[in-house]
Amino acid sequence: MASSSSSGLTFKLHPLVIVNISDHYTRVKSQLNPPPLTSTSATVNGVENQQQAPRVYGCVIGVQRGRTVEIFNSFELLYDPSTHSLDRPFLKKKQELYKKVFPHFYILGWYSTGSDAQESDMHIHRALMDINESPLYVLLNPAINPTQKDLPVTIYESELHVIDGIPQLIFVRSSYTIETVEAERISVDHVAHLKPSDGGSAATQLAAHLTGIHSAIKMLNSRIRVLHHYLVGMQKGDIPCENSLLRQVSSLLRRLPAIESEKFQDDFLMEYNDTLLITYLAMFTNCSSTMNELVDKFNTAYDRHSRRGGRTAFI
Amino acid sequence: MDSAIAQKTWELENNILTVETPDPSSDSIFYYDEAAQAKFQQEKPWANDPHYFKRVKISALALLKMVVHARSGGTIEVMGLMQGKTDGDAIIVMDAFALPVEGTETRVNAQADAYEYMVDYSQTNKQAGRLENVVGWYHSHPGYGCWLSGIDVSTQMLNQQFQEPFLAVVIDPTRTVSAGKVEIGAFRTYPEGYKPPDDPISEYQTIPLNKIEDFGVHCKQYYALDITYFKSSLDCHLLDLLWNKYWVNTLSSSPLLGNGDYVAGQISDLAEKLEQAENQLAHSRIGPLGPPRKKLAKITRDSAKITVEQVHGLMSQVIKDILFNSVRQSSRSQNDQSGPEPMIET
Repeated sequence: MASSSSSGLTFKLHPLVIVNISDHYTRVKSQLNPPPLTSTSATVNGVENQQQAPRVYGCVIGVQRGRTVEIFNSFELLYDPSTHSLDRPFLKKKQELYKKVFPHFYILGWYSTGSDAQESDMHIHRALMDINESPLYVLLNPAINPTQKDLPVTIYESELHVIDGIPQLIFVRSSYTIETVEAERISVDHVAHLKPSDGGSAATQLAAHLTGIHSAIKMLNSRIRVLHHYLVGMQKGDIPCENSLLRQVSSLLRRLPAIESEKFQDDFLMEYNDTLLITYLAMFTNCSSTMNELVDKFNTAYDRHSRRGGRTAFI
Repeated sequence: MDSAIAQKTWELENNILTVETPDPSSDSIFYYDEAAQAKFQQEKPWANDPHYFKRVKISALALLKMVVHARSGGTIEVMGLMQGKTDGDAIIVMDAFALPVEGTETRVNAQADAYEYMVDYSQTNKQAGRLENVVGWYHSHPGYGCWLSGIDVSTQMLNQQFQEPFLAVVIDPTRTVSAGKVEIGAFRTYPEGYKPPDDPISEYQTIPLNKIEDFGVHCKQYYALDITYFKSSLDCHLLDLLWNKYWVNTLSSSPLLGNGDYVAGQISDLAEKLEQAENQLAHSRIGPLGPPRKKLAKITRDSAKITVEQVHGLMSQVIKDILFNSVRQSSRSQNDQSGPEPMIET
């Protein structure tokens, strides 16, 4: 039922939502499978653990500006899959609470965990349609697959398609980008790589900062390498020529150099010189502080007001 | 290999405890054992020892929520509550939520509105499957560091009398963005009149001049707890995969642009402190050599910190410039070495 969406909306997903959903799932799962108290019962529980993979449901909230939909946050929903009933008062209550703290966010859709979108999901989707006429469905696949390269999160929209003469709503996949604010990025980075949280020496701070940039550049390099490899293959004729891709690559290349105007150079130079000035001032402060200490030590060592008087050295 | 040795040295220097990649069986920290928690509440081992709780474990989700909320407040202090449980001498924070109050430093208790919100939110959470209780509160100090002000200390003392176990967490979102690492502190106050047996060496942080009195008066009334973070196996997996998508943001972030006015504020604050130190030096010529020297040393550390952050920011900009702008330059002059030269010459 998934084909690419044609609504023209661009979706931006914040990492907070992903961590939220993952936490919700882990919580529910661990409450259903309490940790084994003794080692002997571990094997018994281990077998059961495989089967208890609960589905969790929740709402996603965010902002829609024109054609861009940005998903910022999420919260849980109470849904009974057997009776297909959504707990409405709960949803209303939660909506109110979140409106108080985040007045700009609206309900954009809902989320669930699982490996694929199912028919029964359409019920919840329809139920939410009275709040938002075109809700989103965010699906997270909680199965941990170490060989996976892509984020197991998909966003579906609903579209009215005519199938067998009956207009039906089906889910279509949409693409999305990950959007983040600076503070979010730093904390995600922090938790993901468990960087040293306290000051450390200036050297370790520098190392941490440069390592971050280095990894990002490494990624950039590997991606460019992949593109290059692909293009070489196309040139040789191993891979059929795909004009749309070639157009994209050419437009990308034409965007370099990124900025090359007089004003940019001036501003950049100014910023550079500002930083140099700050470094100079700091150096100055450091020097004067050291000088001050030297003078103090000198005064202590060659104390004029000592009882011996004169210039006897302090032994 | 050289890099392996370098990494080991770095890890040793920073006491990095390599946390084993959590596997699904170790997600037991997420399990809420109601009976055990109730028993712990009854026992109250903290009543006898003011220094009982020593560590805090914060989940990835709680940290993310708190930092995002703190940053969204801009220069206004925001506050919220944390939910979690206790585990021996550690307080575990599983989740956090924001409160609809604007934190001005003159308010000791949250208004009735916020209490209602708290009760409603806790109820809905319990229904949704989050069974933990409120275990602390957090608030932000945008730009002036992680410590407890006088009002905060009295609030926390009140909390520790009636809502034990309770924890206070302070986040500085401005410094987080400027320094590139999370500025967070967890504190518990000592009960009235209790003198701590020894003075713990706390990490030095720069405090702006207008707040330094408030800091100094109360800094002996509370102690800091060690903070560690944890995440579930699924979180680990997702965050790894997330890196594949947002390495772009790492490269495109530019801390210099975002924090311009904060840096300007820091520098002017530093100038005032220098003037103060100068006056002190002038007055105490024959007097004790202690205070003015220490003041100048502190100022030097502050200025070094500001500079380091600026230089880091500039480094990223220069790297980006070399990466994306020097296409024509490199083809033009092969013998020109890339570096500071192209910047200063036209």
